[in-house]
Amino acid sequence: MNIIRPLLILFLPLATISPAEAHAFLDHASPRVGSTVHPAPTQVELWMTEDLEPSFTKIKVLDATGAEIDKKDAAISGSTMVVSLPNLPPGVYKVVWKAVAVDTHVTTGDFTFTVN
Amino acid sequence: MYYFQIRQIAMAALAVALAFATWTTRIQAHGLEGDRFFPPTPLTDDPFAVDELSLPELQYNPASASHEIDVNASFSKEIFPKFALTVSETYINLNPKGGPAQDGWSNVGFNAKYQLWEIPEHEFILSIGSDVELGGTGSKAIQNSQYPYNYYTTYTPNLYLGKGFNELPDELKFFRPLAVTSVTGYDLYSGAPASNALEWSGSLQYSIPYLQQDVEDVGIPRPFKDMIPLVEFQMTTPTNRSATPTTGTIDPGVLWEGKYCQISLEASIPINSQSGPAVGGLFQVQIFIDDLFPKLFGHPLFFNDDTESNK
Repeated sequence: MNIIRPLLILFLPLATISPAEAHAFLDHASPRVGSTVHPAPTQVELWMTEDLEPSFTKIKVLDATGAEIDKKDAAISGSTMVVSLPNLPPGVYKVVWKAVAVDTHVTTGDFTFTVN
Repeated sequence: MYYFQIRQIAMAALAVALAFATWTTRIQAHGLEGDRFFPPTPLTDDPFAVDELSLPELQYNPASASHEIDVNASFSKEIFPKFALTVSETYINLNPKGGPAQDGWSNVGFNAKYQLWEIPEHEFILSIGSDVELGGTGSKAIQNSQYPYNYYTTYTPNLYLGKGFNELPDELKFFRPLAVTSVTGYDLYSGAPASNALEWSGSLQYSIPYLQQDVEDVGIPRPFKDMIPLVEFQMTTPTNRSATPTTGTIDPGVLWEGKYCQISLEASIPINSQSGPAVGGLFQVQIFIDDLFPKLFGHPLFFNDDTESNK
């Protein structure tokens, strides 16, 4: 069939290349996205779908005024990122993250959780 | 002769593009605006000028006089930052009732697209571009009443839009996963006796990944947590030399987002009798070539900005 030749021309080069990682999206988090928790968590941990590049991956926790309230001790290992929190009073907090996968794909995201 | 020359030139251009692509290294995101991933949808060309590969797309169109199966493939390559070129081809199989099957290639299609305006924090993108369908490059075997204009080149300037609903207040937070995309274009036939036509299509999507990652993790398990239910529509409104009313379909369906590919399944419901006698269907596999082959795809061929990871 005529369709075979153009497909071969297009995709034969791909057969010589090794597949790699993909974009790192959020798989799940603790506290859970949009959850209400009590007592206040001592850290925020994110599990991503791909391994991360520690040098460029970032995570912050902001209070209702937009001020960063985490302990700025973010640790990136494999596909997880974690940052410690001080004693949090009740309120709504926003987690902002930027993930750079090991193949340099960049993704961003944010979500809130509430401390009761 | 002309038919084969054009196709060979297109294939040679793609081979050159693949060779150039191996020289660059940095990866850009595909279809991302802020926190929003706008998936490539089967009927509404997404507003992103990025590397994309649709292979295959199968479309089944029942008609009163024949049944039609289309096998489409398209490949997009970002040439400069925010500017991409696409080449597409469709293999058409017609099965007339009471007659022998006919099959052959459609005209070769090209598209140029530029991301003109982006506001990531508002999940907004506006792009401009144009489709060109080269007349005379399709197979003569499928020339019939359904394809009367294959000898004529069609130019279609397009406006592309994408917008997420991330700004909705907390009371409406479960609507934040909604997003819309649209394409509005105008078919201009070069010398054909056909009517020029307004082409307008769009999609309304509800992203379950966005719900779980950005709004609230409600515990939806796989494979449903990777799905995006959507409704698309694709309409054609002749504007001159024709008394034909607007024709088109409304296409409810679902996308499934895998690590390296996206699978789409949609029903095609004709809006009136001129659009078709019965419900058809559409199946598409979209390959995320920038994830699958990050050294080869996911970055422009020229003027590659190497600073995104450091922002």
